[in-house]
Amino acid sequence: MKPKAVPLKPSARLKQPTHPDSFDLRSPSLVICLGAGGVGKTTISAALAVRAAIIGRAVDVMTVDPAPRLLDALGLGADSSEPVEVQLEGIRHARRGGGSGRARLRALRLDPKRTFDSIVARYALSDAARDAILENRIYRNLSGALAGVADYMAMEKLLELAANPLTDLLVLDTPPAAEAIDFLDAPRRLLELLNSRAISLLGAPGGLFRSRLRMVDIAARAVLAAFDRVTGLNLLSDVQSFVRSFDGMYEGFSARAARAQDKLRAPDTAIVIVTTAESSRIAQAREFIGALERAGLRVAAMVVNRVIAELPDAAELSTARIAPSLKRKLKRNLADYAALKTREEVSLSVLRNSLPGGAVLMVAPDLGREPRTIADLAEIGSSLRAG
Amino acid sequence: MTLPRVLFVTGKGGTGKSTVAAALAIALSHRRPTTLADLDRRLSAAAALGAIPEVSTAVKITGSLDVITLTPRAELEAFIERIVPIRAISRRMLRSRTFGYVTAALPGLEAFLLLERLRIMAGDAALEDRYLVIDAPASGSAVELLSVSSGMKGIAPAGTLNRLADSVHRFLADATRFGAIVTLTPEDLAVREALETAVTMRERLGIVTVAAIMNCVPDLLFDASELAALGPFGGHARLAVRRNAAHEQAALVAPRFAAAGIPTFSLPMMFTPAMGPGEVEKLGRVLDAELLDR
Repeated sequence: MKPKAVPLKPSARLKQPTHPDSFDLRSPSLVICLGAGGVGKTTISAALAVRAAIIGRAVDVMTVDPAPRLLDALGLGADSSEPVEVQLEGIRHARRGGGSGRARLRALRLDPKRTFDSIVARYALSDAARDAILENRIYRNLSGALAGVADYMAMEKLLELAANPLTDLLVLDTPPAAEAIDFLDAPRRLLELLNSRAISLLGAPGGLFRSRLRMVDIAARAVLAAFDRVTGLNLLSDVQSFVRSFDGMYEGFSARAARAQDKLRAPDTAIVIVTTAESSRIAQAREFIGALERAGLRVAAMVVNRVIAELPDAAELSTARIAPSLKRKLKRNLADYAALKTREEVSLSVLRNSLPGGAVLMVAPDLGREPRTIADLAEIGSSLRAG
Repeated sequence: MTLPRVLFVTGKGGTGKSTVAAALAIALSHRRPTTLADLDRRLSAAAALGAIPEVSTAVKITGSLDVITLTPRAELEAFIERIVPIRAISRRMLRSRTFGYVTAALPGLEAFLLLERLRIMAGDAALEDRYLVIDAPASGSAVELLSVSSGMKGIAPAGTLNRLADSVHRFLADATRFGAIVTLTPEDLAVREALETAVTMRERLGIVTVAAIMNCVPDLLFDASELAALGPFGGHARLAVRRNAAHEQAALVAPRFAAAGIPTFSLPMMFTPAMGPGEVEKLGRVLDAELLDR
């Protein structure tokens, strides 16, 4: 997204939103796709990446939970946590410049657990500290398949990949989210846990630190201890040792998180919300927009995936030389899909009315089949149009 | 068809899970009192019935159908208030940031308490001879949710939670009390995810899937000779092929589920310009005739 297309003052945006007429993949260095599960976020991420590579950019795309056929399309194995070159031969028919002249596409899958382990290893002050963290019950719960950690780790991997000077554009697919902000907010949440002085102080054996405990911490400690006794969880000691073992690593984490936050707000970062035209999905997409605006993040584009492709002309039927019974059926078929198209149009107009300033609404017509090849992804990418 | 007290409706995102849950609740309520429990934070099942219920409070839709919304957070609060009976302390604890961090580090706790709530509701449903239909999260998160009871046993080796984990585990694996329904559309990905979910639930948790409900199945309009007469090109031909392809894809689904011992039921594609309570009611009538009369 070109920075000049964005009105500077939020107040100006509220009155008269201006919307660019297409999503420009030539300028951003980072595209982040957000959306609920099942809307085709991974497909759209991959299609945008292919499209950018076709116009000549050096692109990396990181997927989170791709469908098996999409993995095949991108040439990814079950264990591709490092970028793999994707073959673009045969689809790179139109190179229209705008890139660095070193067009390529690489794809990788995010492995949240492995990424987390490697960060711990990077920042731990000693081997003993590292092992203490990796063995901790809280860490093992945190570092598994839980959504928050995948979010944080995607952010970590993003910084690593974005630092590569040979890449023009990084396209990031994100874990499915109930809240758009879950992903963007992940570093802050994890840091809060690590930085919760209160927790480490809870276990302090009196003396020097005692006086620093506020009343509310003392109360919390008492109830947590009671909670542990009744539930049998023994959480308190685990949380304490978890937080303590991060001593001295906090600075490293915190600096990374701050850089990630800066990156999200950079002028050459484009946030894309992916949705489908179903009314419940549209409602969710609107909540996403609201959450992002409250967080001060700019939405560059909304992509409505799998919209019904252009319907044929009813007039064609009156002149067609086919059996009357078949003609009647075709008329009914057209009327049926026109009804669905009307439903979709209502959803799209709702979305159009809540489009944030500076954002463009795009639609991706339904391919009519599951994308299986790079050519399918290229087709989706090139069929993206203003909606 | 004999159904368990609790029907846990899950499926891939976009398969109309909430619509199916609402239609199923309507169909069941024609026979016995029924509660639709909405676990979906966006309350789409409740909205499909034209209701906006408050969290944890049942709202009556008809004489025999009510809707309740359950959230993990509300269950955690209720649990804390139960084990810490002094309100001033339990409130303070819930508000404390420290406690927030601890529960954030153990997200399974809230989910587990939600399952415990479902177990208690199932007991009540048995006493009152009613059905409980649950609009559950989409399949991936649903399996995660159902798995927390076994995880909880590992985290809490003794105490209240350990005992609760045992009883939740028995509840989920009891086919007279608990059964899953997987929703799908006639698309390969959705079919595969529904099958995988059913198999995972059975193998990992002993949960029986009582039915696969396939949503959005268009009726067959064109026969093969008619499609041939249209030729391969032209917008009308493409649209006709599209409808027939969905219908044919749907016909291939039932045998795949039958092989896993799961009956399949189809709901028609509603070719209407809007999807409102009237459409959900119609789908409910289809389920009433197809599923419940079997």
